[in-house]
Amino acid sequence: MNDMRLTERVVTDTAKMTARGVQVHYGTNHALKDVDVDILDKTVTAFIGPSGCGKSTFLRCLNRMNDTVASARVTGKIEMDGQDIYDPRVDPVQLRAKVGMVFQKPNPFPKSIYDNVAYGPKIHGLARGKAELDEIVETSLKKAALWNEVKDRLSAPGTGLSGGQQQRLCIARAVATSPEVLLMDEPCSALDPIATAQVEELIDELRSQFSVVIVTHSMQQAARVSQRTAFFHLGYLVEYGETGKIFTNPDDPRTESYITGRIG
Amino acid sequence: MTDTTAAPAFRGASLTEPDARTRRRNAAERRFRLLGVGAVAIGLVALVILLGSILNNGLSAFRQTYITFPITLDAAVLDKQGNRNPEEMKKVTTIGYGKLMQQALLDALDEQGIDKGDLTDKEIMALLSKEAPADLRDAVLADPSVVGQTIPVNAFATSRLDGYLKGRVTMESATRDANISPEQLQLADRMEAAGLIEKRLNWGFLTRPDASELRPEAAGLGVAILGSAYMMIVVLVLSLPIGVAASIYLEELAPKNRWTDLIEINIANLAAVPSIVFGILALALFINTWGLPQSAPLVGGLVLTLMTLPTIIIATRASLKAVPPSIRDAALGVGASKMQAIFHHVLPLAMPGILTGTILGLARALGESAPLLLIGMVAFVRDFPGAPPQGLLDPASALPVQVYTWTQRADPAFVERASGAIIVLLVFLLTMNALAIILRRRFERRW
Repeated sequence: MNDMRLTERVVTDTAKMTARGVQVHYGTNHALKDVDVDILDKTVTAFIGPSGCGKSTFLRCLNRMNDTVASARVTGKIEMDGQDIYDPRVDPVQLRAKVGMVFQKPNPFPKSIYDNVAYGPKIHGLARGKAELDEIVETSLKKAALWNEVKDRLSAPGTGLSGGQQQRLCIARAVATSPEVLLMDEPCSALDPIATAQVEELIDELRSQFSVVIVTHSMQQAARVSQRTAFFHLGYLVEYGETGKIFTNPDDPRTESYITGRIG
Repeated sequence: MTDTTAAPAFRGASLTEPDARTRRRNAAERRFRLLGVGAVAIGLVALVILLGSILNNGLSAFRQTYITFPITLDAAVLDKQGNRNPEEMKKVTTIGYGKLMQQALLDALDEQGIDKGDLTDKEIMALLSKEAPADLRDAVLADPSVVGQTIPVNAFATSRLDGYLKGRVTMESATRDANISPEQLQLADRMEAAGLIEKRLNWGFLTRPDASELRPEAAGLGVAILGSAYMMIVVLVLSLPIGVAASIYLEELAPKNRWTDLIEINIANLAAVPSIVFGILALALFINTWGLPQSAPLVGGLVLTLMTLPTIIIATRASLKAVPPSIRDAALGVGASKMQAIFHHVLPLAMPGILTGTILGLARALGESAPLLLIGMVAFVRDFPGAPPQGLLDPASALPVQVYTWTQRADPAFVERASGAIIVLLVFLLTMNALAIILRRRFERRW
């Protein structure tokens, strides 16, 4: 049934981010080998592959979160709208405002729901005054499909929400800085099926505003939400293409083995 | 094939009947449990004995024997010019006041019809503390308007008489005592019956400065408490910002390499360095090289800062480390800079741990005496240090050192005062530890 939906997907062709020859070393461990990927604008791109294949590593290269890992060394070229994000003049702080991230485990700040969402806009000076900030918080929570559940308790601690709500709060927090690309590192792995469905629906809606890159272990999820899929294996990008093609007619035998459950 | 289905040989037949091996294991468990209970019991007994003996010896230091009688402050003696000018009245020494007091005491005995026995006037006067005339003089100079009036005076009794009322001095011991005789004590009994002598709460123990070897009854902790307070201020002001800044740098910003490893090891080692070594360092550096004054709370505070810093750094780093990395990721993920992530998110979460560590470090510094001995804080200081910041350079004493000096003195009355000082010190320490616990409970957050 999913396969039938896949064929209907529309894919834009403008590349938002391009990666060429990206290599990542953690100390002596060569984690990512020569990866070339184009992340298309207003598209959901899924990274799949067995554990330790480098898909999360590559995701963290896209907003330079790997900078925080002391032993990590990134080479190659990653461009966003034609600008090299690893240019020494690039401030990773500004980059991360444009490339938002949602993590595997929901990690709201131990602050109120309002403060969680308002934090990004505050530090980037996106709002002039309280009213504008209120508006950003409201629209972000609405985009994350959380507004109706929390609008009466915005001052309640974000950590008091359920797991699924926390993850949507994290999405709202990432959306609040109006990013151009949203990276999601296994956003549903800690969620139950209902919360997962909500988040997936959300991802599909967010696609109209920006590119979404999602790392997932669930091939069904990749098939459901993404238009493009990249399959990583042992640090190599094995295959990258339209989701429908990857799941129905992959070029590489390794991809086929993985999606049919023979490796991974 | 039948072998595999048979029960293994070691297994007993019944579940309710423990086999030898199980019995041995259970016995070992019981033995270990008993050992544990025994160890805790020994610890508790030691604590009870310690607290018991300190409280038993020291609580009496808060009560002091006073002799109360009316005294007429004769203007002809105290203020010959008659203009109540304290500057001119200072010409009358404590000896002058002593004579006045002696007369007033004798008059009071006569008035109450108390039999003076065969005692000379001087021996009767010896029941009063030598500090009493000085206190009276201070009171008169502070308020010259009382001259010419008859006022009731509460004078310290001599420490021997105080000891007699507290059971430290007996008739038997007085026969061998050059400072007091059984006849004097008999007079004291009569005076007590007449209500002239009474034991009362003595706030002076907390507010008065130290007194000389011969006047234990007048000795107080005022200068020591103030000196300790000044040092704690210095320690807090210096070690908290330095310690937190160092920890944040080492934990969050510094590259992890051989140098930072070395620094880390050295901080851990510094925390274990005996405190007297810091005293030697301070003597060489602060006093001999920098020329800072001896006995000054500033110098004491600096030594204690050196000593407390490793503790604070270790505690702060531990609490920074305890903040889950996901919080840092979250902050960096929305585009916060490293500093913003630290100051907006990590530090507030680590604050209860940092404060707890700081308070415990301060508590340790408060109880430290060895380094202070080396920088001269063991001196006999009777003048209160001035107000900070200038007062930080005035000589002062410190609570633990005061305990030490009092235990060195010959008069047994100082044993009681030393125990009393320990009680004061313990109360401060317990208060600080309680504060640390409250802060930890109050600000503890879950994520």
